[in-house]
Amino acid sequence: MSKNIKLRTENLNFYYSGFHALHGISMDMVEKEVTALIGPSGCGKSTYLRCINRMNDLIPGTRVEGRLLLDDSDIYSSGVDVVDLRKRVGMVFQKPNPFPKTIFENVAYGLRVNGIKDRDFVARRVEEGLKMSALWEEVKDRLHSSALGLSGGQQQRLCIARALAVEPDVLLMDEPASALDPVATQKIEELIFELKKKFTIVIVTHNMQQAARVSDVTAFFYMGELIEIDATDKMFTRPKEKQTEEYITGRFG
Amino acid sequence: MSHTHLSREREQLKMLVLEMMSKTTESVRHSLEAFSEMDTDKAQDVIDADNDINELEVSVDEKCLRLLALEGPVAGDLRFILGCMRVSVDLERIGDEAANIAQDTVVLSLKPGLDFYQRLTVMGYKALDMLKLAGRAFSRENTDEAVQVCKMDNEVDELNSKMIKHVIGYMADHTPAIERAVRCINVARRIERIGDLATNIAENTVFISQGVNIKHYCRFDNR
Repeated sequence: MSKNIKLRTENLNFYYSGFHALHGISMDMVEKEVTALIGPSGCGKSTYLRCINRMNDLIPGTRVEGRLLLDDSDIYSSGVDVVDLRKRVGMVFQKPNPFPKTIFENVAYGLRVNGIKDRDFVARRVEEGLKMSALWEEVKDRLHSSALGLSGGQQQRLCIARALAVEPDVLLMDEPASALDPVATQKIEELIFELKKKFTIVIVTHNMQQAARVSDVTAFFYMGELIEIDATDKMFTRPKEKQTEEYITGRFG
Repeated sequence: MSHTHLSREREQLKMLVLEMMSKTTESVRHSLEAFSEMDTDKAQDVIDADNDINELEVSVDEKCLRLLALEGPVAGDLRFILGCMRVSVDLERIGDEAANIAQDTVVLSLKPGLDFYQRLTVMGYKALDMLKLAGRAFSRENTDEAVQVCKMDNEVDELNSKMIKHVIGYMADHTPAIERAVRCINVARRIERIGDLATNIAENTVFISQGVNIKHYCRFDNR
């Protein structure tokens, strides 16, 4: 059975003013698979991640060359509605960033800014989002309490629920568990296994074991270049490139 | 490439497996010498030495288990640890086979020798050559030498078949020697098994070095 390509990157170059941060990246991401981006700090993996929902557009002086296709449409072509793009490509950050609002309003936020006023519809989506992020059972009796009262792990799952409430196709996760304890980390990882049944997930992580555990495909970046991309089991048992082997076995540099 | 804690641990593991390899190779050599000379003292030494090999297997197991649990090895490190676990199991079995040959020698030494003892010894030294080459291939992580070991196994298998056929024929004409002849068939089978286990070690060397599984069909192509 042929796999459906959700995201295709063709010769992508990215510049921060004069700094050439990504060099000719070309890769495919398959629908409903988890792709892990690994590499040392400054290798360009987060820059690449932020290219996927055009978050880098917010940084002055940046420039993109090449193509990044979401369902065969270039997200950098003129006329693309960036707000609509970010609805289709949700993002979860390293540090949980709930808004100083109630749990309910945090999850409903994306729907509200998209102009949805139907209360039943919003309530249904909030519940679905919280269920998908495996938080519902823990918060269903205090939906109108402040989100800031949740633990770090719960806050991160709340942020995932917030991203899911607008029904994205793709979920970008930038080190989503790096600020969490092992129990909360395990919950996030279990959640990723569940979420990939419905979404295409791209995760940046510095935790090699996490990349090995949760992803189907792993891409290794170094100095702005994509050094190797392959099935995760292959990358972690017999990588093709010496640089990949040295990085994942901790012998880099 | 910088040296990590794991790379130092890996070196220690390799030394442990090489020590086991060396002791096992010595046991096989001594068992063959004991057999060809019907030297019961030497045979007893081989039987006694088996315990050292068993203890080394336990040490390799413990070390591998600890590295897997604590170091989270991947890629070449993971293959090396898995490979060492398999190699140590093969070495322990080779040690058992050497001890079995030594035990057969003790019994055979009580009666006059038969004319095919010499041929059995020749076959034994072929298996010993395989084991030595498998040890060198493992030590150097040398794929070419490992593949050479696999090729040598056919010769030992063939010698074993011929030997068993010959001994069965001999038994038909020499019924008083049946007990000794049956023991010789056992010795031939043990030697053949040592060849098979040396082949396993060689296959694991290819796995460690290249990440390619060549078990059961003994060929190497870098897929």
